Amino acid sequence: MENVNALNVGNINPEPKVNYLTNGTTARSWLLTKDHKRIAVLYLLTVSAFFAMGGVYASLIRLELLTPASDLLESGTYNRVFTQHGILMVFFFLIPSIPAILGNFLIPIMIGAKDLAFPRINLLSWYLYMAGGGLTLFALMQGGIDTGWTFYTPYSTTFSNSYVMLVGLGIFINGFSSILTGLNFIVTVHTMRAPGMTWFRLPLFVWAHYATSLVMILGTPVIAITILLMALERLAHVGIFDPAIGGDPILFQHLFWFYSHPAVYIMVLPGMGVISELISNFSRKKIFGYEFIAFSSIAIAVFGFLVWGHHLFVSGQSIYAGLVFSFLSMVVAIPSAIKVFNWTATLYKGQISYDTPMLYGLFYIGLFLIGGLTGLFLGAIGLDVHLTDTYFVVAHFHYVMVGGSVLAYLGGLHYWWSKITGKMYSEFWSKISAMLVFVGFNLTFFPQFILGYMGMPRRYASYPPEFQVLNIFSTAGASILAIGLIMPLIYFTYSIFFGEKAPANPWLLPGLEWRTSSPPPTENFEETPVVYWEAYDFSEESGLDLEDARNKYKVTV
Amino acid sequence: MAHDIHEHEHYHPPGLQHQFDDMGQQAESDSIGMWMFLVQEIMFFGGLFTVYLVFRSKYPMAFAAGSNHLNEWLGMANTLILIVSSLTMALAVHYAQLGKRNLQVILIILTMLFGMAFLGVKAYEYAEKYNDGIVPVTGLNARTPKNIIPLDERYSVNPESLHGNSLPFPGDVVNSPAVPEENDTAHEGGHAEEEYINPRGDFIWKDTSLADKAFAEGYLTDNEKIGYMKNGEINQAMFQDKVRIFFWIYFAMTALHALHMIIGLGIMLWLLWRAYRGAFVPEYYAPVEMAGLYWHFVDIVWIFLFPLLYLLGRHFLHGGGH
Amino acid sequence: MAEYKNTEDHEDHDLSHEHHIVAIPLYLLVFGILVVGTILTSIVARFDLDFIFAGANTLLALLIAFTKMTFVALIFMHVRWSSRLIWLTALAGFFWLAIMFAFTMQDYLTRTPGVFNR
Repeated sequence: MENVNALNVGNINPEPKVNYLTNGTTARSWLLTKDHKRIAVLYLLTVSAFFAMGGVYASLIRLELLTPASDLLESGTYNRVFTQHGILMVFFFLIPSIPAILGNFLIPIMIGAKDLAFPRINLLSWYLYMAGGGLTLFALMQGGIDTGWTFYTPYSTTFSNSYVMLVGLGIFINGFSSILTGLNFIVTVHTMRAPGMTWFRLPLFVWAHYATSLVMILGTPVIAITILLMALERLAHVGIFDPAIGGDPILFQHLFWFYSHPAVYIMVLPGMGVISELISNFSRKKIFGYEFIAFSSIAIAVFGFLVWGHHLFVSGQSIYAGLVFSFLSMVVAIPSAIKVFNWTATLYKGQISYDTPMLYGLFYIGLFLIGGLTGLFLGAIGLDVHLTDTYFVVAHFHYVMVGGSVLAYLGGLHYWWSKITGKMYSEFWSKISAMLVFVGFNLTFFPQFILGYMGMPRRYASYPPEFQVLNIFSTAGASILAIGLIMPLIYFTYSIFFGEKAPANPWLLPGLEWRTSSPPPTENFEETPVVYWEAYDFSEESGLDLEDARNKYKVTV
Repeated sequence: MAHDIHEHEHYHPPGLQHQFDDMGQQAESDSIGMWMFLVQEIMFFGGLFTVYLVFRSKYPMAFAAGSNHLNEWLGMANTLILIVSSLTMALAVHYAQLGKRNLQVILIILTMLFGMAFLGVKAYEYAEKYNDGIVPVTGLNARTPKNIIPLDERYSVNPESLHGNSLPFPGDVVNSPAVPEENDTAHEGGHAEEEYINPRGDFIWKDTSLADKAFAEGYLTDNEKIGYMKNGEINQAMFQDKVRIFFWIYFAMTALHALHMIIGLGIMLWLLWRAYRGAFVPEYYAPVEMAGLYWHFVDIVWIFLFPLLYLLGRHFLHGGGH
Repeated sequence: MAEYKNTEDHEDHDLSHEHHIVAIPLYLLVFGILVVGTILTSIVARFDLDFIFAGANTLLALLIAFTKMTFVALIFMHVRWSSRLIWLTALAGFFWLAIMFAFTMQDYLTRTPGVFNR
């Protein structure tokens, strides 16, 4: 136990001479790196670029919908714009964002390992991501794709004249990037934990990523084979998805949603992991019902595979199957609800500090609640017949994806920014930005619930004039949201060059990632740490300097 | 536990990577990682098996007709070849565990030879399909299927045993223009105008006898009646579409399997080189073991493909009806 | 100082370190079973078993295939001597495959119009 003192928070290791950022400065040392932290940074840069591109398409959609007529974009172009918005955001931003950036950076540190189990595979998965992304971008430059991000047959196999094959290939390759990341995480969590880091001492962030990785491994290969079949069908026209000669387009939907519904949990679960960290740490209180949150992640991953048919309620699926899928969709809401209840219970009598990450955490709970509950509306088979393919659906999944995933991602990025870069961002500007994101987001998407309920269909460039007022609200909200999202880009960049140097543990928290320097050395810890405290342990057991912590919070609160 | 870690800084076993503390941890990681990879492979093939399941349950007779046309003996030979290669692979792992270099090398070479034999048989089967005009993609079939026994005579139920009107070749053959009813003349090859029996390289399937039999004996399902029948009788063109779906699935599944075999052979080549250099010792033989897991997995896929593709309609040829 | 309590995960590492070396006769036995299974599946496919129940042929063929797979997995792939995690992983693969089959087929098998009217 000789390194216990060294791990004491008030008395952290002296700053290492070389940290992971300064260990090699050539392009080669970055592009061929096997360090999970550097790969995470590579992901951060590229995923952000894709996010920005997806955002540009989103702006185009909102600008077009400012007026009832299709005046800015004609219908064909509009189809391409919303398709490309969907593809970029889903496959190249939401799915890799939290796992590949924050997960990659933090999982080895949080469990006290030197690296992921397979560093070379980790690098390979970034290159696969780049190859898939590159192909997709190439297709976009050639003229894009207009099938909707779901590639529904027979439109994608027979009628579409856009670059379906190229984008399909991009997503196929990108899928393997995701599989390899998941594989790496699972093995790492199983075999690389530091002495004393038992399963129930793992931070919930790690549990969430473990569950996510299960979905990645079990689901992603199915989308790969589905896209492959779709591409072959487009080439050869054999007709397995063509009803005219005995094929079945709904089979495509079954296979597609077998992955793509669990993929929603690939996007949401890591966010839930981030929120568990934020809520507990910024309440300075052990999280309420640790085991329940941990196992609800696994339950979501498992039950998530049983509900895909609720995307097919009006497609011609049998009514019996619809009933089963509808029932199971209600069931999958339970573990999500468990998490929300536990987070709120954690807040109760906590010592809450409203730092920027916590703001995102609190916003997340509210928005995810709305997103989740409207999901129940859509899972109810009768109501769904009315709401299918309206803006209600659009609003619902944006509340889950943006209100859930993106907010958690931003919260996590703020929370660990000091660890990643070793610099502090501006607390003032980041709070302003968080507020703008929250207000802008709600203004954008809440009107869409009403629009959808009134019957405005999605995926059209024009709409009846009576919907215009709410659409103007929505576009106005999108502008605010855009400002809120551009601001972090500025103050984060500013912080890298001019920011205050971050201490190892700016918030005096017990997690392992706060017990190494900011930024960490290449092998994360000077010596393999020995863990003797429970997760989120704010008592003396954790070796935290409580006096120091109290003093800090006297000043900030 | 900390002293454990120090201990290994002095002794560095062969093949230990920096992120691991000891060989045990590394071996365990490799093994879990490989199994996770195999699980994703199961799901990858699983998509195709789902497609198979859906269409077979929809069109059992078309699947039986297509299946009966596959060469059962070649399929069985291939199954046996793969099983032998699995045995040699398992033995290669065994001798890697014991650190016997020469036996490892010999067994890896044997495994590769059997793998290549499998692919050779597969290639021969594909060529047969090409010549028979039953590759499900238009343009990928022989224009002049000479030296080939007419489709109807192979593996089909004897027309005489069926009720009348058993082999309807209606005039409305949709996708296959200019198909003469008698292929025999092509074999003589004397007539220039008959040189191209199948000028576009279409998929052609004329034998509807199984569907006729099922219809006559009353076990055609509702789905099949919708799928095969027009004006109250089995329609050759419609039946042909469904048989084509079978062959499409056959080609997709076997080609994906063959692709895995080819990748496997690539891995074996790398393994052979390393084994030859004596890289694998009793403390470190994980690559042989992992390659073995992969090879056995590919074998398992074939163990299912063989009955599902080659044998599923065989009993209709021998059965006495229902 | 608080005790560092749990050592179980490191015991896991030690267990898996000792790899089981399977005796060659066992491999040959499994090989024999696989060959017999292959021949058997080919022979039974020739008999029309539909008099037992529709699809009996398919079921029997799949049973034989499952048996063969089990032997390959247990002996050739060493699952028999592997940790519980490996068992779980192998089973999970098939469980999820079963989910995909079952939940897709529950649609196709109930699609006949009027299931609820009868």
